[in-house]
Amino acid sequence: MIHVSNLKKAYILGTQTLEVLKGINFSIEKGEYVAIMGPSGSGKSTLMNIIGCLDSPTYGSYKLNNVEVSDMSDDKLSNVRNREIGFVFQSFNLLPRNTALENVMLPLQYAGINKEQRREKAKKALIQVNLGDRMDHKPSEMSGGQQQRVAIARALVTNPSIVFADEPTGNLDTQTGEEILKIFRDLHNNGQTIILITHELEVANEANRVIFIKDGLIEYDKIN
Amino acid sequence: MPIQESISSALDSIRANKLRSILTTLAIIIGTAAVIAMVAMGSSAQKALDESISDLGARTINVYPTSSRQGATNTSNIPLDIKDALALLKDKEIPWQIAPEIRGSRQIKFGSENSNLQIVGSNPEFFSIRGYEIDQGILFNEKDSLSRKRVAVLGSKVANELKTSSKALLNNDVFISNVAFKVIGIIKEEGSGWGPNPDEQIYVPLYTASDRIFGTETIGSINVNFPVEYRTEEVMIAIERVLRREHDIGPGEENNFRINDWGQALDLQKQATSIFFALIIGIASISLMVGGIGVMNIMLVSVTERTREIGLRKALGATKNIILLQFIIEAIILCLIGGFIGVILGSIIYFLVALWQDWPMVFPLVAIIGSVSFSALVGLFFGIWPARRAASLEPAVALRYE
Repeated sequence: MIHVSNLKKAYILGTQTLEVLKGINFSIEKGEYVAIMGPSGSGKSTLMNIIGCLDSPTYGSYKLNNVEVSDMSDDKLSNVRNREIGFVFQSFNLLPRNTALENVMLPLQYAGINKEQRREKAKKALIQVNLGDRMDHKPSEMSGGQQQRVAIARALVTNPSIVFADEPTGNLDTQTGEEILKIFRDLHNNGQTIILITHELEVANEANRVIFIKDGLIEYDKIN
Repeated sequence: MPIQESISSALDSIRANKLRSILTTLAIIIGTAAVIAMVAMGSSAQKALDESISDLGARTINVYPTSSRQGATNTSNIPLDIKDALALLKDKEIPWQIAPEIRGSRQIKFGSENSNLQIVGSNPEFFSIRGYEIDQGILFNEKDSLSRKRVAVLGSKVANELKTSSKALLNNDVFISNVAFKVIGIIKEEGSGWGPNPDEQIYVPLYTASDRIFGTETIGSINVNFPVEYRTEEVMIAIERVLRREHDIGPGEENNFRINDWGQALDLQKQATSIFFALIIGIASISLMVGGIGVMNIMLVSVTERTREIGLRKALGATKNIILLQFIIEAIILCLIGGFIGVILGSIIYFLVALWQDWPMVFPLVAIIGSVSFSALVGLFFGIWPARRAASLEPAVALRYE
């Protein structure tokens, strides 16, 4: 499903070139639960941005569902993100003025789905994360764990090929974090492909496979 | 994404920052209000002017004494007096009607109320030349004038000025500079136009005015009304001939009186008003431009403030164009809201001024459409840059923005 070969990313800072990714190779199959791990500055965020189609590599190939995405235009990448990828962020990134339901409806709006269908799908996604009774609440009226569950519902509502979770428990206490990780575990058990980005070993160990990045290269890639 | 959803999301964001949005649009509000008020006042004033001119008829010419500043060669300022009017009356070349006018402001008393009002002394022809019609009672006649009779005809609003009713005044005495005058008639409401309001004046016979009120035969102006078949120019030449002879002006010397034809005055007045209003509209347009820059400024702030939101929207699949459209629509809506508030404010200002000035009301439709669409254009123009900046944000970078 994901096939990355010799992926490189370099930033030009003044006269210097900073190579953040120095040639990454891996494949992820449908249904896998993979953690990408590494200390800060290792390049794991850059890697996540590239495989999340938020950024393009300087060199190398990235095939998503057998389609080369490394050289796609901005608008095409927007469409790929909309259809293939669901994001869950560390800081939830919900629109503060909108209700949970409206937040979950947002990606469907960009997919051009009509309002009734959007509402139906968003309701289902919220019920799936046990927030059926919080649909009309705004983010400020919800706990961190609830907000993150709204974000997960938003990631799932488009029925994406991959769910990306970037430090999803980073802003939560341990117990709430565990609840969130349980949701990912359940999603995985239902066949959802999940990529978890984290710097915590306990979180990474939740996944079935850990890819450890250090200094722009894969240090190890192992099955738990 | 359908446009109505872009509009509703733009409205959401404006609603979330109500105070800032209103402050942003302040210059747009002021600009639009100024345009609406000025254009409406301009056309109203124009209409009032046209009406008062058409009352007079284009067939009226006025003669005034020259102001002394013109006298480089003749230092003494020669006024017009009743004899000049009589000379014109005696001249039979053109069958004109002549109404000399002697005016001044005097204290009027009725009962315990008093007020300062314009007194106009003239002959009976004055009313027909000016198109003033009697409402109650009668007008004075030639005999009243020759016998210096103390009678007065009042404008329709004099009663208001004296805090009483026309009925109470009619056939009773009012005191003009402490001399009793019998009110014999009240004219119909004329409405104010250009110059003093005829409804707030008091009309008395010519010789009564010159002997009993003003104590002078010097007159302010002579109204000359002539039949349609004569051209204005030839009437003016005839007046000039009579008055030059009367004033003993030799060949080559300048006139020491001034002949005004209303058409000319109207043109001049029109020109002056249009220059004035063009100036105001120019200033208002600048204010709209400044308003646009304000909107742009706030939009730039808004883009910066919402960097993460833009990043998120992009991550969820919004294309560049969707973001671009969202911000442009927001800028346009901001300016349109400002435009609408401006239209309402401007109309209120205009309405109050027109009411106060007794102007005929006009509905400034063209100005409303014009200024609202102009403010939308301002929004579009000044919204493009911030919107492009928002649209070109890198999602990965924008998402991490703190």
